Amino acid sequence: MGASSGPRLSGIQKQVLSLYREFLRVARSKSGEDRHQIESIVSAEFRHNSNEIDCKNFIYIEYLLRRGKKQLEQLKSPDIVGLSYLNVGSSQPKKT
Amino acid sequence: MAATTGASVSINSRLTARASSLKLAALSNQGRSTLSFRLRPQTARLRVSCAAKSETVEKVCQIVKKQLALPNDTAVTGESTFVSLGADSLDTVEIVMGLEEEFGISVEEDSAQSILTVQDAADLIEKLKEKDA
Repeated sequence: MGASSGPRLSGIQKQVLSLYREFLRVARSKSGEDRHQIESIVSAEFRHNSNEIDCKNFIYIEYLLRRGKKQLEQLKSPDIVGLSYLNVGSSQPKKT
Repeated sequence: MAATTGASVSINSRLTARASSLKLAALSNQGRSTLSFRLRPQTARLRVSCAAKSETVEKVCQIVKKQLALPNDTAVTGESTFVSLGADSLDTVEIVMGLEEEFGISVEEDSAQSILTVQDAADLIEKLKEKDA
């Protein structure tokens, strides 16, 4: 591992990249339109988090990793065909 | 520069051809700073025994361009590193996935991490294809 000529990645970075890879792999198993949607949501999410989150905020990153893994497990099920994104917060509905 | 070349050649005689082809590439591609990078013995150790065919390299270049949404006139050669083309680690994962699909191969995580340049990718693809055949 230490002999890798690549940029030195920390363990947590490797975990994130590996999760990303897994997601893209699972997306492949879904069909056409769904696949595209999954790919774009997943990639937007990873990219967004990579820009937004302080790379030293390990607790939060680890939380996201765990959450991601769970979502990945769900997505792996053949019954699940798609992903959708619900934006809570920015368009805050009135509290009832 | 010559000293570095000599050092890597002595490690592995197969490298002779590669080192000279690199020099040629660098000459036709003046101003690229990737040369010294490529000649590091460490990188050399990961080399595959045969240099990848030019059509594979060409195809990889196309895919890389597509994935990174680079304009058509961007020069992508075997020596281009993904980083120099503006790819981050997430992009690199995407590129490798794209290549896997295009060439019908499966790249292991460890080897995926050591892919830095188009040439690295092309060499790995050739190796994997050979294994399949």
